[in-house]
Amino acid sequence: MVKQFRNMAMPYIVWMVAIIVLPMLLIVLYAFTDKGNDVTTIRFSLENFARFFSDTVFMSVLKRSLYIAILTTVICILLGYPIAYAIASRSERSKLFWILLITLPTWINMLVRTYAWMGILQDEGVVNHLLGFLGIPPITMIHTTFAVVLGMVYNFIPFMILQIYTALTKMDKSFLEAASDLGANAVQSFLRITLPLSIPGVISGITLVFLPAVSSFFIPKLLGGGQYVLIGNVIETEFLTSGDWNFGSAISLAMAVIIMVSMYITKKVDTDPGANGRRE
Amino acid sequence: MKKMIALAIGAALLLSGCGGDSATSAAEAKYGSSTLKLYNWGEYMGENLISNFEDEFGVKVIVEYFDSNEMMYTKLQAGDAYDVIVPSDYMIERLMKENMLQKLDLSLIPNISNLAEGLKNLPYDADNSYCVPYFWGNVGIVYNHNNVDPAEVERLGYNLLQDTTYKGRIYVYDSERDSFMMALKALGYSMNTENESEIEEAYNWLLQMNDTMEPAYVTDEVIDGMINANKDIAVVYSGDATTILDENEDMSFFLPTEGTNLWSDSMVIPANAENPLLAHEFINYVLTHDASYDNSETVGYPSSNQEVLDEMSAADGIYGENEAYLPRTDYAKDEVFEDNPVLKQKLAELWIKVKASH
Repeated sequence: MVKQFRNMAMPYIVWMVAIIVLPMLLIVLYAFTDKGNDVTTIRFSLENFARFFSDTVFMSVLKRSLYIAILTTVICILLGYPIAYAIASRSERSKLFWILLITLPTWINMLVRTYAWMGILQDEGVVNHLLGFLGIPPITMIHTTFAVVLGMVYNFIPFMILQIYTALTKMDKSFLEAASDLGANAVQSFLRITLPLSIPGVISGITLVFLPAVSSFFIPKLLGGGQYVLIGNVIETEFLTSGDWNFGSAISLAMAVIIMVSMYITKKVDTDPGANGRRE
Repeated sequence: MKKMIALAIGAALLLSGCGGDSATSAAEAKYGSSTLKLYNWGEYMGENLISNFEDEFGVKVIVEYFDSNEMMYTKLQAGDAYDVIVPSDYMIERLMKENMLQKLDLSLIPNISNLAEGLKNLPYDADNSYCVPYFWGNVGIVYNHNNVDPAEVERLGYNLLQDTTYKGRIYVYDSERDSFMMALKALGYSMNTENESEIEEAYNWLLQMNDTMEPAYVTDEVIDGMINANKDIAVVYSGDATTILDENEDMSFFLPTEGTNLWSDSMVIPANAENPLLAHEFINYVLTHDASYDNSETVGYPSSNQEVLDEMSAADGIYGENEAYLPRTDYAKDEVFEDNPVLKQKLAELWIKVKASH
């Protein structure tokens, strides 16, 4: 019986190898070889990585990308947590309604929504027109860090809210009753019970926000303008404009490693008993 | 349930039957197929170009759009089949070198005799054996003559973009080809140079501009930006300048005396085209007076049809007063881009470094 089921998984395994594993291996292969290879001769080299890490411009782009991604993630937590908490503490029907509202924008293509922000933030856009009515001089918002971070927070915050919300609703309410029986006030029971139990949701929220934020290329391109270069834009240029797939792959791989290491550290902090109080 | 399926099949048959009217089958008999797959730039066609062609020849045109030659090339290499594509000069040269194009049968394109004078003997395909021009033009400077003295523009040329008087007031076209063209021309070099030190100098010229001028790097947004007079100076394609000057009379156009890019986008038939006969018919159709007029009127780019070009730029023509419309030809310092993959790759990387350094 079990064997039969195992066979049924075969098509999926073949599919996953073809769609996920093979392309990844290709990226690794490209990253460690130099240009001009054909099928018969492959020269391995670390040249691509040396070129990336020794270049001060690329390093400052990398730093800027990490900064923007961290800033986006932090804002998503600060805004997303209270929202998720508020939704989780409502009645069953009301919860469904609010979650629907949160997910509703994601039904529309992300690119289209980002274009909408372009129209809103432009010098001649909606916001500045409204300000004009109030007699306030126009503010330049498009092509600034503000616009890029706004675009990222807007696009990625539903992932954060949903993760925290799920963690909060899965929580056993009897813990809170026990706490209040034992004399804890609202603040105490939040800090000692709700918060620690929702941390796994925050962690997966961080993963889901930080990953796309650090590699996004069209949000900086549309809202930051051509002069707002993040690492995703460099990778895009290497693949599409310069056609240097080896160097592009090397940057992608370097980014993947950096992300994996930071995720590992985040997970480690989560499971470390000393990090959040009373966990065994 | 069975009834439902029968009904659905019936409806499907009925619908598919609708396509086979007499005009379509006539087209099928003549061209072997009644569908043309066209791959063109966005916002690059007259309002009625496609619908008129479809009506006149009883065919269906499927249009897809690209926003860079490189994107088009990547799709073509992936094996996507189109009947007509409209790439730029250097990309056509590359496609020719890589045997990705079909040789044209000029006897099927009699309207080639309408071709504009300035487009004859193109350096990359002198006898039009692979391509037929669609639009063409230069790259120049659009400026607001209320805020920028025309005499200054003429005196400085591209070096206007290094004059800190205009800091924060300039748009630069976001492409390595056009930005390096500007820098190399400002320094008095050829835009097709392979000389390392000249490229290095141009790179430093662009870095200097980036660090001192707060330029905004844009592509098509430049059109609306200049129409709304958001900035005072922009380096743009002359066809876009035509539109800008049309919409805002405070704007003027100048072609720097240091020379510029004389570019052309031409129609080609890829080697894997499924319907080359109809593709020839389409190319011939674009060169007719009416189709060319429609194209140039809607898009604002200079027509490849001499008669239309003359008509539009005549004193009573729709672009008669527009100094950006007519391309500059026979100017020794103007050049056509040559295909050079190694150089292009290098410039692309230098360009993203320019933009990232602040």
